Amino acid sequence: MSLLELKGVTKRFGGLVAVDHVDLVINEGERLGIVGTNGSGKTTLYNLISGVYTCDEGSILLEGLDITNMPAYKRAHLGLARSFQIPRPFGQITVRENVAIGALFGTLIGEIGEDEALEIGEYYLEKVGLYPKRNEIANALTPIEKKLMEVARALSMKPRLVLLDEAMAGMNPKDIDRIVEIINKIHEEEKISIVSMVEHIMRAVVNFAERVVVMNQGKKIADAPTQEALNDQKVIDVYLGRFALEEQNA
Amino acid sequence: MEFLRMFSGDLINGIILGAVYGLMTMGLSLIFGVLKVVNVGHGAFIMVGAFIAYWMFTLFGLPPLLSAILALIVGIALGFFFYYVVMKWLLEAPELSTLLATFAIGIFLAEVAKAVWGPDYRGYSWNVGSLNLGVTTIPMAKVYALLSSIVIAVALYLWFKKTRAGNALRGVVEDKEGARVCGINVEGYYALSFAIGIGLTVMSGVFITLFVPVGINPYMGEVYTIKAFVIAVLGGLASPWGAFFGGFIFGLVENGSYAILGLIPGVEPFSLTQCLAFAILLVLLLLKPEGLLGKK
Amino acid sequence: MNKGKYYPLFVAIGIFLVLFIFGKFAQGMWEPVALIMFYVAVGEAFNVFLGFTGYVNFGYVVFMGLGSYGMALVVSSSSMAGLGPWILIPGFLFAAIMAGILAAGVGAIALRLRGAYFAIATIGVNQGVKFFIEGAKIWGGSEGIIISKPLKVALGPHLANAVTTFWADFLVFMIAILAAVITIVFLHTRLGYGLIALREDEDAARVMGVNTTKYKNIAFLVSSILAALVGATAWCLKTTYVFPDDVFALSYTVDAIVIVMMGGTGTLLGPVVGGLIYGILKYWLGILLPGFQLLILAPFIIIIIILFPEGIVGVLKKRVRGKKLEKFIA
Repeated sequence: MSLLELKGVTKRFGGLVAVDHVDLVINEGERLGIVGTNGSGKTTLYNLISGVYTCDEGSILLEGLDITNMPAYKRAHLGLARSFQIPRPFGQITVRENVAIGALFGTLIGEIGEDEALEIGEYYLEKVGLYPKRNEIANALTPIEKKLMEVARALSMKPRLVLLDEAMAGMNPKDIDRIVEIINKIHEEEKISIVSMVEHIMRAVVNFAERVVVMNQGKKIADAPTQEALNDQKVIDVYLGRFALEEQNA
Repeated sequence: MEFLRMFSGDLINGIILGAVYGLMTMGLSLIFGVLKVVNVGHGAFIMVGAFIAYWMFTLFGLPPLLSAILALIVGIALGFFFYYVVMKWLLEAPELSTLLATFAIGIFLAEVAKAVWGPDYRGYSWNVGSLNLGVTTIPMAKVYALLSSIVIAVALYLWFKKTRAGNALRGVVEDKEGARVCGINVEGYYALSFAIGIGLTVMSGVFITLFVPVGINPYMGEVYTIKAFVIAVLGGLASPWGAFFGGFIFGLVENGSYAILGLIPGVEPFSLTQCLAFAILLVLLLLKPEGLLGKK
Repeated sequence: MNKGKYYPLFVAIGIFLVLFIFGKFAQGMWEPVALIMFYVAVGEAFNVFLGFTGYVNFGYVVFMGLGSYGMALVVSSSSMAGLGPWILIPGFLFAAIMAGILAAGVGAIALRLRGAYFAIATIGVNQGVKFFIEGAKIWGGSEGIIISKPLKVALGPHLANAVTTFWADFLVFMIAILAAVITIVFLHTRLGYGLIALREDEDAARVMGVNTTKYKNIAFLVSSILAALVGATAWCLKTTYVFPDDVFALSYTVDAIVIVMMGGTGTLLGPVVGGLIYGILKYWLGILLPGFQLLILAPFIIIIIILFPEGIVGVLKKRVRGKKLEKFIA
């Protein structure tokens, strides 16, 4: 059953077409990986789904409901949650309060009070391993901890779909494994759809995603189960080819 | 016919005053453009310039055109002083801090001026003949103010566009980090822009005195701060050249609307002119925050 | 845990009570205490917007000014004179309505701007309103409104005198308590969490489900109405006159910013402590070095901004984190 459906979604900035007629279906409870280099349009795609930008063309449906022109905050109430490429914690307040904000304004908006929200937040801090840091000011966290806090904050919203931005240059493999492990565990327990976005096809995707979508220059060039996508000639040409080249040059 | 004659006289005066307004605002825009700091104490520096002109004239008989040079030097010195003592520490601070700090600097200057000269209104008159234009007669002093303002604006423009320092400064405005990578001493240019901005502002205070016969007072700055804000927004806030042309527009609107609003019976046209200025400010901020001359 | 949230409110009210008793029973201390409470209330009202949103409303004083006009217009209208002391109720109501209407209008327009642009726009609103009153010669134009006579007619000379010497200040205490209650409610409800989120990162807050436009308009409205109530009593009722030059003076906005910053933005006790220190300092300097208060305060302000940007309560809050005292400080 499809949870989110994008039909011919297009976004232009000036003359540049950042996202070019993308069709995409995200199924209930699915683990989807989106792969694409810098500038391939994946961040713009996230911004269109979460409502930071509005589409120039096309439409977005959440369980059949047209949310194309719905403001970002209302989409959050319906169950869309995300993290950011560069973490954006609410810096001057504690980690615990950060996560509680997620719970207060997510799908449970209006149904829970402060104390319950703090409890929900602490539950997810425990899950990502940040519980001992709950009373720290968010700005004092390390970059990787901020990343994990954003995951906890997104989960506290009790979302239907979480969009994670893992495109993090310079993150070491151990940290990546740790995050993937946490996310897989959460997926098992929560049964929500998780979309994760990375720059390169690496073991993060292989270990996580059931299906992979490959973006290049604003277009979707592949959309298939993970192994199949990795063997797609187009993907190898356009994407892995370039990656290999970059590797050589580096 | 009488009204038209008066009206065109007002407009000519508006253009002349507008040039000085433009000069008065260039410093504010320069500082905002480079440091992203809104100098809420802007008017106090104009007041300093006004007192320099007043003092030099009454004590030594020095004509304002010469004290303008002195004012520029004093202003640059004040700019460096306040940059290194105050602004330098607040570059990363939230907006609130710099707004309050510059306001406090303004209060401090006004209070020092009050301690030195007292709270009374003062003035002087520099009589160097006048120019008859048919519809109106203009004191030569104001003509000199107009010409000086234009010369200074052009000089600044050439410095900005033609010299190495000016180029580097433009680099800093466009991309701070990029400029740093290119080996430009970004902090040094912050200090320099703040100093030049304050220098221009203090100097403009000298020319302002030629338009207000007895308006020199420690607290005279506030009204100019606010006028400068309107003008800066007209010109796009971050552009000194935009500000200079914004000054002309503001001078025209101020003087022109004064004549027109004066036709309404039972009102105080001077205050309504001011009110109109703020109405323009709000509409502009809303519709075209990048300024009348700015491009998106 | 649940009741503990409101302990800081009791600390604030305790401070007010001590001040009240001190002012009432120590010889000649009522006026200085009233001055301090005025600053506390001004700071609290300002903090409801600045502290929770991070937006600098430089034109804050316009709402205090309109509030005092609102009260003056009601008191001086002959049709209301029959109400006796009850006239103060429509007075405050009218003050709140006038400020509320302006705040709703300004909020809808100017709150779309951010940072310096918002600050400049609000300065413009203040000056625009002032010059409009003077220019169009409404409400007495630049001459203002004097209500000493109508106040005596409405309340009788004895009560009118008591209002200016005691009740006007007493009402400032009440407004300070009201503002403190509102602040603590903000701190512990969804509204407050949403506002703090938007203060820290407005775009991220929107994506996280905060209706930022609605929230900042609410904070702006509440802060403006509180300011109007302060203006209505501390200016109009206490001094019995309203002059545009006085009630639209930007320096009051700066007082408010200093108080909030010195005490700690976004905290309950910050404006209380800030107002206390600022009031004492101003009063004391006024006696010690009359005419030089501002000359000394200006460098003092700069030092605070550079060295203690978090304010006294901000620093204190950090110090007591995890300790027993924690629940008393907010």
